[in-house]
Amino acid sequence: MNYSYEGFKRDDGTAGTRNYVGIVSSVICSSAVVREISEKVSGTIPIVHANGCAQLGDDLKLTKNMLVGMSANPNIHSALLVGLGCETNQVSGLLKQIPKTKPIKGIGIQQLAGGTNTVQKGISIAEKWAEEAMEQERTKLSLSSLTVGVLNVDADHDSLTETGPVIGNVVNRLVENDANVIMGLSKTLAPAGLLLSERMVDITEKEKMISTSKGLNRLRWKDPTIEDTNGNEYTEEQTNLAVLESEMTGSVPINSILDYGEIPKENGLHLMKISSNIVESLSKMASSGCNIVLVVSKRGVLTGSIALPCMTVTPQSNKGSFDELIDYTIKGSNVHQESERIIEELLEVCSGKQTEVEMLELGEFSIPHLGTTY
Amino acid sequence: MRTFEGYRRANGSIGVRNHIIVINTVGELAGLTNKLAGLVPGVIPVVHQAGQSQYSEDSEQTIKTLEGTAGHANVSAALFLGMGSKDPAEGIVETLKKNGHHVHSIIFDKDKSITECLKDGKSWLENAMKRSKEEKTEKADISELIIGLECGGSDAWSGITANPSIGALSDLIVEDGGTSILAETTEAVGAEHILANRAVNQEVSNRFLEIVKRYEQRAKAVGEDIKAANPSPGNKTGGLTTLEEKSLGCIKKGGNSTLMEVIDYAHKPREKGFIFMDTPGYDVESVVGLVAGGAQIVLFSTGKGSPTGSPIAPVIKIGTNPKLYENMPEHIDVNAGKIIDQNYTIEQIGEEIYTKILQVANGESTASEKYKNHEFSIWRLAETQ
Repeated sequence: MNYSYEGFKRDDGTAGTRNYVGIVSSVICSSAVVREISEKVSGTIPIVHANGCAQLGDDLKLTKNMLVGMSANPNIHSALLVGLGCETNQVSGLLKQIPKTKPIKGIGIQQLAGGTNTVQKGISIAEKWAEEAMEQERTKLSLSSLTVGVLNVDADHDSLTETGPVIGNVVNRLVENDANVIMGLSKTLAPAGLLLSERMVDITEKEKMISTSKGLNRLRWKDPTIEDTNGNEYTEEQTNLAVLESEMTGSVPINSILDYGEIPKENGLHLMKISSNIVESLSKMASSGCNIVLVVSKRGVLTGSIALPCMTVTPQSNKGSFDELIDYTIKGSNVHQESERIIEELLEVCSGKQTEVEMLELGEFSIPHLGTTY
Repeated sequence: MRTFEGYRRANGSIGVRNHIIVINTVGELAGLTNKLAGLVPGVIPVVHQAGQSQYSEDSEQTIKTLEGTAGHANVSAALFLGMGSKDPAEGIVETLKKNGHHVHSIIFDKDKSITECLKDGKSWLENAMKRSKEEKTEKADISELIIGLECGGSDAWSGITANPSIGALSDLIVEDGGTSILAETTEAVGAEHILANRAVNQEVSNRFLEIVKRYEQRAKAVGEDIKAANPSPGNKTGGLTTLEEKSLGCIKKGGNSTLMEVIDYAHKPREKGFIFMDTPGYDVESVVGLVAGGAQIVLFSTGKGSPTGSPIAPVIKIGTNPKLYENMPEHIDVNAGKIIDQNYTIEQIGEEIYTKILQVANGESTASEKYKNHEFSIWRLAETQ
């Protein structure tokens, strides 16, 4: 099989499966203005969230990194950053961090003396960029320009038995064809950490994986110094499920574990620490450079990423799923055939075919908090 | 005796608005919540990204906030969207119904298609809209009002003009038997002794000092310093130099009344008079907490100019300096800058704010209402699981 797809080539060697003008809010205070600009100009997406001020340390760093990553995402043709002016997360700081490989500008409500002016100014900038984006044509591209996120949700023993081998084979094929794959590593997969660590080439990454298998430490309000670990306390059932879920990662070597909106250094298979919150996880994948996500779910997910097509694959035993959300249902047990079909559908989506969730116009973005606000 | 026209609810509370809202319990449903609200003109979507895989401290806070928001006196009817068998929506709705609120939940799960759910939601909202149009206002006394006090984008004038004027207003409201709630615990750091000394008794005083200390300790525990986030870049360009300086200005909003009670985020005050609520200094999260605690109107002083509002309560913006009012009149309701350049006194601006409160309570739109600033976000405590 010689895989390729039609996408939007970017100056930095990446490629978009979509071609949006991103209107990015630096802080919740400018979110209404961002939404308004985006509503008025077709071809734009509002990248809004609840963070951006009164944050400290790693929590603030994550917000910054994710907004930089979103603006740099290959599906974003150009990015207009809209700030309030007095926020902790200054637009000027974000502009310094975003690679200058695409049209990027920043405006602020306080500098422009109010929301009305800011909306007008934003519309005029966005319209020009949206026109340019409209004129850009898709070109034939190889899989090496693709970064596929894989997000597994609501799995159980039966569904994993069915999806695990098929998705694992999809991952193998993608990586063998030089694509980049980022698989979500949530608390359901963590118990299989030791098993997965055997496939890690880099010693530092291997150690990270082993420590992850002792539990994903989360910061809490109650006793912030006590890290919440569940190390070595997994039940047999949790471990068994994790082993089944680990089949989704296929059998290729694992390059690295990604954290804090990190962008993979080289193509291959990477695991990304995620929470069990779907919108947060999709947002993390988008800000780490994914240009499409494969969502593996029994029921289907009621939203997608604002910037990425999310293609939903469901097992045959999907009694009571939301039919309107499903892009591909696994039929039969021919692993090779099913995985080829999924890749075929995936490449069509990359080339512009709308997913069910896109047709419903559902898409979200949110930035996780690592701590409390101040 | 000052009065206003409000909507009497079944539980006895009085609202200054008659909103129909649709609200999600989990972030995954935010998009559908917006979509559904868009199907019925006039319905306000209240969306957030909380409520999924949260530790107990966060999920309790999320539920408490959603309950206070949907059961607010300014809300005529609320529709909850939830999903799956463990969703809190049905529980919240049951609690609210017991108190006579007009609420309903739609749970997205396996036996109904999305299209059907949206259709059901639309028809419930249309009926709620019709019902709300028939609800009449009645005369109510000022003592039934709860006013939230907030500041955002402070500058060096905040503590000299707008905040003391809000303080004067707060004292007037308290004198008239009403309630005002000061918030933003971080912005009491360095000035906590002043408020603690005004507490009605030792217990309230201790409780107040405790929440301030807890905030400082939390920051230290994770190796941070609150003073790194406060004052913010905008505060500094506005002429503030330290957190203590900012705090001394911030607490001026509390006037000189006795501190009657210290309450947790999104909780309702049991006492009348001057109250303190434990919230972060982050404007939107703080306003959301005040409103969930029952504030029908929020006063919000700003030195730099900020458009944010609330989906539920009218937010009255009070500008601290004349230049701001000149530059950004669209986001300012009351210009306290007149103290600087037009010889107005703090008391006069306090009275002006009082008049504005009555006009707004009677239905006049505030700047943030005109521009549909419906920002909503719940104070997050811990990382997601």
